[in-house]
Amino acid sequence: MIRFLARRLIWFVITIWVVMSVSFLLARAAPGGPFTQERKLPPHVEDAWREKYNLNDPLIVQYVNYFVNLAQFDLGLSFKMHDFTVNEVIAAGFPISASLGLMALLFALTLGLFAGVVSAVRRGGFWDLSLMAAATVGIAVPSFVIASVLILLFVFTWPVFPAAGWGQPINMVLPAFCLGAPYAAYISRLTRTGMLEVLSQDYIRTAYAKGLSTRTVVLRHAMKGAMLPVVSFLGPAVAGIIVGSLVVEKIFAIPGLGVHLVNAATLNDYTMMLGMVLVYTVLLYGMNTLVDLSYRFIDPRVELE
Amino acid sequence: MHAFGRKLFSLLVVVLTLFAAYVAVSFDEQPAADFTFINGTEIESIDPAVVTGQPEGRIIRSIFEGLTNWDPKDLSPTPGVAKEWKVSEDGRTITFFLRDDARWSDGSPVTADDFLYAYRRFLDPITGARYAYQMHYVVGAKKYNLGDSKIGDPVEIELIEPPKGALEFARGEVVRGTLRARDKVIVDESKQIAKIVPYDQSPPKEESKQQAIERRRRTIKRYTVDVDGKTCHFKVGRAENRDLPLAEFQDHEPARQLLVDFSTVGIRVPDPHTLEFKLENKVPYFVKLTGFYPLYPVHRETIERFGYPQWTHPENVVSNGAFRLGSRQIRDRIRLVKNEQYWDAENVYLNTIDALAVESANTGLNMYENRQVDWISTVPTAIVPELIEQERPDFKRAAYLTIAFYRFNVNVKPLGDVRIRRALTLAIDRDRLVKKIIRGGQTPATSFVPPGIAGYDSPTCCEYDPEEARRLLAEAGFPDGDGFPKLTLLYNSSDDLKKIAESIQYNWRDTLGVEIELANQEWGAFLTRVHSMDYDIARAGWIGDYVDPNTFLDMFVTDGGNNETGWSNEEYDDLILNRIPAEDDDEKRMQLLRQAEEILLREMPIIPLYYGISSAMVRPYVKGYHNNILNVHPLKDISVDQEEKARFLSRDDRSRGEGEGR
Amino acid sequence: MSNATGQHELEKYAALWEEAQGVQGISLGQDAWRRLKRNRGAVISLIGLVSIALLALLTPMLPLQPPQRVDTERIFAPPTFAAAPAVEAEKVDAHFGIKGGINLLMVKIRLAVFGEWSVPSICGTDELGRDTLARIFWGARVSLAVGIVATLVSLVIGVSYGAVAGYFGGRVDNVMMRIVDMLYSVPFICVVIMLVSILNDKAVKAVLEEYGINQIAIFFIIVGAIYWLTMSRVVRGQVISLKNEQYIEAARTIGASRLRIIFRHLVPNVLSVVIVYLTLTIPSVMLFEAFLSFLGLGVKAPEVSWGLLVNQGFSVITPIKVYWWLVLFPGLALAMTLYALNFLGDGLRDALDPRLKNK
Repeated sequence: MIRFLARRLIWFVITIWVVMSVSFLLARAAPGGPFTQERKLPPHVEDAWREKYNLNDPLIVQYVNYFVNLAQFDLGLSFKMHDFTVNEVIAAGFPISASLGLMALLFALTLGLFAGVVSAVRRGGFWDLSLMAAATVGIAVPSFVIASVLILLFVFTWPVFPAAGWGQPINMVLPAFCLGAPYAAYISRLTRTGMLEVLSQDYIRTAYAKGLSTRTVVLRHAMKGAMLPVVSFLGPAVAGIIVGSLVVEKIFAIPGLGVHLVNAATLNDYTMMLGMVLVYTVLLYGMNTLVDLSYRFIDPRVELE
Repeated sequence: MHAFGRKLFSLLVVVLTLFAAYVAVSFDEQPAADFTFINGTEIESIDPAVVTGQPEGRIIRSIFEGLTNWDPKDLSPTPGVAKEWKVSEDGRTITFFLRDDARWSDGSPVTADDFLYAYRRFLDPITGARYAYQMHYVVGAKKYNLGDSKIGDPVEIELIEPPKGALEFARGEVVRGTLRARDKVIVDESKQIAKIVPYDQSPPKEESKQQAIERRRRTIKRYTVDVDGKTCHFKVGRAENRDLPLAEFQDHEPARQLLVDFSTVGIRVPDPHTLEFKLENKVPYFVKLTGFYPLYPVHRETIERFGYPQWTHPENVVSNGAFRLGSRQIRDRIRLVKNEQYWDAENVYLNTIDALAVESANTGLNMYENRQVDWISTVPTAIVPELIEQERPDFKRAAYLTIAFYRFNVNVKPLGDVRIRRALTLAIDRDRLVKKIIRGGQTPATSFVPPGIAGYDSPTCCEYDPEEARRLLAEAGFPDGDGFPKLTLLYNSSDDLKKIAESIQYNWRDTLGVEIELANQEWGAFLTRVHSMDYDIARAGWIGDYVDPNTFLDMFVTDGGNNETGWSNEEYDDLILNRIPAEDDDEKRMQLLRQAEEILLREMPIIPLYYGISSAMVRPYVKGYHNNILNVHPLKDISVDQEEKARFLSRDDRSRGEGEGR
Repeated sequence: MSNATGQHELEKYAALWEEAQGVQGISLGQDAWRRLKRNRGAVISLIGLVSIALLALLTPMLPLQPPQRVDTERIFAPPTFAAAPAVEAEKVDAHFGIKGGINLLMVKIRLAVFGEWSVPSICGTDELGRDTLARIFWGARVSLAVGIVATLVSLVIGVSYGAVAGYFGGRVDNVMMRIVDMLYSVPFICVVIMLVSILNDKAVKAVLEEYGINQIAIFFIIVGAIYWLTMSRVVRGQVISLKNEQYIEAARTIGASRLRIIFRHLVPNVLSVVIVYLTLTIPSVMLFEAFLSFLGLGVKAPEVSWGLLVNQGFSVITPIKVYWWLVLFPGLALAMTLYALNFLGDGLRDALDPRLKNK
């Protein structure tokens, strides 16, 4: 187990280095610089700004400097938000995006598992059909359409939620729901399939034969086996939630990291963009590692590589 | 181990859940602000010298104050930090008399020296102020800002370190003297001297941008200056090259830059409460310009103590406006708090203001309709026609001193032929464009300078004339569009711009038989192409910085930074650069400006499309909001009738499209 | 007496023989098809998808309004049965947005058969007066093309990569999968955004045009290049479990080269898994396209896709006025297609599951 983690750590460093290098080059290759704006900058002004941000150094020097700073956790100054360093921006936005993402994930898990189990247990019945139909909506409709419909219904028709913004717990409900809905749908289907498979196994029949209640059978015995496909879905789910948060944060005006990412890329805010790439890469890698770890705990038959 | 690992794992899950819940619950339970509005995007900075945008302007105008303010109704200058001012007979000397009770938010008085400090910093080339050219009207300012100097000039040399006893981030020690000699030393890769060249030698013609950057990196400038009778030597350049132990650098003191002495710039401080400007020419709008936010003062001690960017943080910043920076949450909100030290504090009605950084116009509208915000300054264009039809009283539209137009790249064949440019312009049905396609209440353009400037009448042009357009096109050699090359119309990604471009593409195809391709790009990439003139026809827009035709017309001088069409006309240049600034009589000056616009409209390097409109939605309980053509709404003039607001919020009908109780 | 027993034996053997004849070995494919047919939902989905594809292919021949004709008299018109304006034959290229080739031919046929008449705007019009129904059909072509082609690109890359990794095993497999892991950690949206702006650069575009690669093709490639990762993992897993089968052993004994084994024996048997995965990836790709449109990076005007349509619809759902038809109809089209794909994928997965063989 320690060896597993150690190896993961080494690959983590390699991954970060490769990803950041490629991003660094891609960022520089994109046309336009961080200082282009509607009114053309007089050359001497643009020069002053380039000097300030060391953009006149040869590429190699910039590259090395960047990584040296990176090792000290210094991500540089943002080109567009002059008053803040990239670290400050990330520190402000990360907890918000993280909590939104976590809420969405928790919501997706609980709703998805619940729906999947109920559907599987009551196979073919009313609940099964309606829950699976609802799941399909989650899968087939883009999240921003769901969001706008929900806003129309629960903000304006029945004024239950605020339209947008951040500051109170209630601001989190709609965004987390919109973000988590597609994943709840996927998870419910995965759970249902896995559950159905498990429920047809012999040892379940034995459990029923012993006289155990449905609830005990399902929760104690069947769940673990059904969980495996769900757990392996968690990795892509987190990746998807990160991507989906871009849309949700924009619609609900949530001051998370998502907006920074798109803006930084389109405005050529190099340092910001690299900072975002770093954060997301770390997140994804950590998540994948966690998922791999959790395999071990759920199904002891699985050997960690 | 197995069981332990499992417990650890479950613990991790629990911890993560608690973390999420904690963040969810630990929200800032601040009471709602008196007034909340949407500011558009997260602002670039609160430093007045550095920014150029409108959202930044709104915040900066609230926390800082300049010599003058602008009346919210007609934008005429009103007393700000200056209680009165005097303009000399010839219009070239303007004296401002500062009030005694103007204070910074830390209690210290605002003096003329603060303005002097701010302006020097504004004009300092190292600051890189993008609006620095607005101060070039002042004698010597342009030279200082561009870093120009001549042998024999009085100069100031900024050394690397601040003087002893100064604050940490103060400017380097300044040595003053007279420039006697100078040259440039070019260092090669092996850190040896490659050559020594005369200072004024022009760069090699065949030089790419990369090579130019490389060459400037390796160049160390050497100066010989007479300081108090002593001859001193200085070297200026990048530290890695400047500090090399070479014989050529012996006895040369390292310095950050050499500029003409700031005393050659026409700003004088006869006493702490008087500020005097000497202008190159008479500039009728200069007093108004002092109310423009790049010309606002900044607090020297704060900047020198904390450095950049720390001084901009709410806990450090010191400002002199009606409000001060209370708190700032990135991409969320900026909270402004009433500044008790403000000289006119008793006439400031709001105590707290929240400026929200919401980018999506749709979200902004939702928040407005949901009564979370009191004012939005961007309305989604798709529903503007609906709002007009519903006659919503809280929907405010005003003429805006802005024009939407297309640029021609006159270097691209056959756009060099003025007949073709005129043909393309006349073939556009602006009326239909504005009424049927954009439907925001804009006005079709009949000139380049938008209407609304008192005392100025534009010449007219651009009536929809398909016959004439076809005739011109045929005359130019492309009857019915035969043989006309397929040009590209470039615009930046936006649904509205796409609509307009598609409609015009259709117009040209329909009326002239001319095929045009559409291309759109991200904002940054789009700008790069336009700036480097890598386009055929490109979409453009311009907002006036101040209320005078010059802000629109001085764009198109030959090689002007914002010209970007390749168009050049001697007579036009002469008017804009020489005759108009030299003209003292206001009426004659306006006539000359009109002459210049006539030339522009005759030659058509641009296609005027329509005059913009500012649209906003403001709740009826918000008072002090007035429409004006620069779309400036100072927050210190705004007040909220709390009783009316309470009544409004308690109303039950939340049906869509509600009227406002007419 | 021995004769009677002999006869009985003969009859027994005859009966056995007949029974044996009756038991036909059926291939996996036939077996799967038989099971699929029994799944009514999947069959309906399949029929639906095939018809959508056919309709999309034949769109220029259908009597629809021109999808790019700007009609300022009918802006934001709600669904109606009022007669549509006549189709102007001279303006075909402008109104239909086609340059030539087979599309032009199809439109000409349509004009010959249906003349100027077209189906009224039963799905309303958008902010430039363009008919939504027509745009849904024309958008289907782009969206389906993107979905299918991008998925195929990911398939080609993913299957080859995964099969090679799985078969070779050991070191090779390790390194290859590590690369996949690394790529998994890359936040693709960043890469896509950067790539899109690079590829939109005029110089780069000019170079690509020379090779006949236009905007949409670039899009296919980018999307396909993102989705191959999971495919490769799935294929690798499958190959690993298959490579120890008897027939692989047999091929090896005969002396078949490794590449031949991989591509001739393993890949076809992996195909079932791949097909299922395909039908489940296409929806993801189509949604991803919609997502990119939301960010402004997707299909650009004057082309129209479902993602673009849904986005335009989204921007007109406001508390002031709801132009519901602009969201409902494209949304329904998208949702139903995705639903059908999912259903079909599930059905295929059930049908191709070897454990259920002969049930």
